[in-house]
Amino acid sequence: MKKVGIIIDNYHLSYKVTDFLEYLRSLAEVNFYIEESYLLKSSELKFDEDIFFVKAKGTLILGLVKLIEEQTSIPVINSYKAIWLAVNRFLNSTYLKKAGIPVPDFSLSPEGLLPPFNDFIIKNIVDQRNYKFNPIINQQNSHFKIADKRALDEVDGTDIKYKYLYYQKFIKSEWEYKIYGIGENVYFYKQLPILINPNKLESRQEINEIPELKEYCYKAMEVMDLKVTSLDFLRSSDNQFFLTDINCTPNFNYMKDGHKIVADFLLEQAKR
Amino acid sequence: MNIGILSKRTTMMTGKIKDYFENEGYNVSIFTLENLAINESLFNNDFYILKSKSLFFIYAGYYLEANDIPVIPDPHISFKQKNRIASHSLLKSIGFLAPDIYLGTLEIFKDRLQSKDFPLILKPIMGSGSRGVRIIESIEDLNNGNNKILYLEKYIEGIHLNVYFIDDVICTLVKAPLANEHTDMEKIKTPNDIKKLINKWKNYFNGKVLFGHLDLIREHNSNRLFTVDVGTFPEFSQWQIDNISPVKTICDLILKQVRKYHNH
Repeated sequence: MKKVGIIIDNYHLSYKVTDFLEYLRSLAEVNFYIEESYLLKSSELKFDEDIFFVKAKGTLILGLVKLIEEQTSIPVINSYKAIWLAVNRFLNSTYLKKAGIPVPDFSLSPEGLLPPFNDFIIKNIVDQRNYKFNPIINQQNSHFKIADKRALDEVDGTDIKYKYLYYQKFIKSEWEYKIYGIGENVYFYKQLPILINPNKLESRQEINEIPELKEYCYKAMEVMDLKVTSLDFLRSSDNQFFLTDINCTPNFNYMKDGHKIVADFLLEQAKR
Repeated sequence: MNIGILSKRTTMMTGKIKDYFENEGYNVSIFTLENLAINESLFNNDFYILKSKSLFFIYAGYYLEANDIPVIPDPHISFKQKNRIASHSLLKSIGFLAPDIYLGTLEIFKDRLQSKDFPLILKPIMGSGSRGVRIIESIEDLNNGNNKILYLEKYIEGIHLNVYFIDDVICTLVKAPLANEHTDMEKIKTPNDIKKLINKWKNYFNGKVLFGHLDLIREHNSNRLFTVDVGTFPEFSQWQIDNISPVKTICDLILKQVRKYHNH
């Protein structure tokens, strides 16, 4: 029986992987590495897993993944590079744009210095914690200025981290396109943008393949070394798609049989 | 030619570099965390000097490099030296001795660490130098209770050394344990094993590392050299080799590197 190491935090373990684990345990032996209760000691790292699956993105998780990759040949999905780029919004915008994937214009600016575009959404810079998008919407002189409250809290709240804001040009779109990439397979959904309906599942629907988005999905996975991902696209009034978010720990419960698709993929990728 | 310097300060080494280049006829702008906006406005300069390793300067370095603007030192190398976990992995992959590291929450450390694990050193995960660094003799010395992930290193008993290098010149200094770069240090003749270590370090980066420093500890019991901190761009405030000016030599090396970049 194959051995799968699940690198996870308490939040994901409690709320996001119940069906996945039930299915996986019927096929493989499962070991857990939980961020809040794991002691990482570099001198005592010994693993006999055939594959690791990472379902969190905290600091200890990144450290553990880095050390596993450097000290063993066990596949880790997703890799350190993939997680690091995915959580660093500015970096992934930079590299995705360089790879030719359309991303909205972006700027990383000190507080008080506005970006060189009028309609924008302020997003958190390092997306490592588990919390929900909480938009504050301002419309001034027909310009949209939207901010995620957690991004503002990082510069003005009780736990100030830095004095910088990440600005992404706001793209007005009728639908948000949610694309899942699991290995070679790509799955297509759409839903009303969260700013229109915060209950994203209410409007979610499976849609036919969109070749352009499939190509962007493959390219983004290649550039960022992602094996399991979800991508959010918006479509502008002139019909151009823009990749607005990329995730290294997608919630595959929102896909039909998502838990089985991911578990089967992992076992295929295991080293024996 | 227009030069940008990414630096948390405008004074000290940064100020001297600016003065040197301006005297040579270049236009120099310093970008601090007060005025650095990372977007296309940065494309006005021909190359950048990454003096400081704060995350936003490293972001700027990655952004510029992705847009084919040379950044010296290399931002990828600077990041690996800024993040302690990446730095530990880097040292191991080069084959250097580095202290064992520990990551976990305070609760987990209280529960699992044994007396034989101490003494340890607490360090910020993102950081270099001595800021936020302290010795942990026992679990009682750890008091951060907000469930953050803490980074600890095994404390090595021995002689603490600050080793600067600029091009092929090495300056080795003995310093007090955990002292920062600006405290008094005693220059010693560079031993052969340190020369080999510096050469190995530079060779690993294939000509991309022109200068920098390593913080070493020569372990009392074994005489082995442990690397405990690395830096791409120190202030060189304790440089003690009279006939070599760090500012002039470093600026000339940077220009040489930029020319090489453009020739490619």
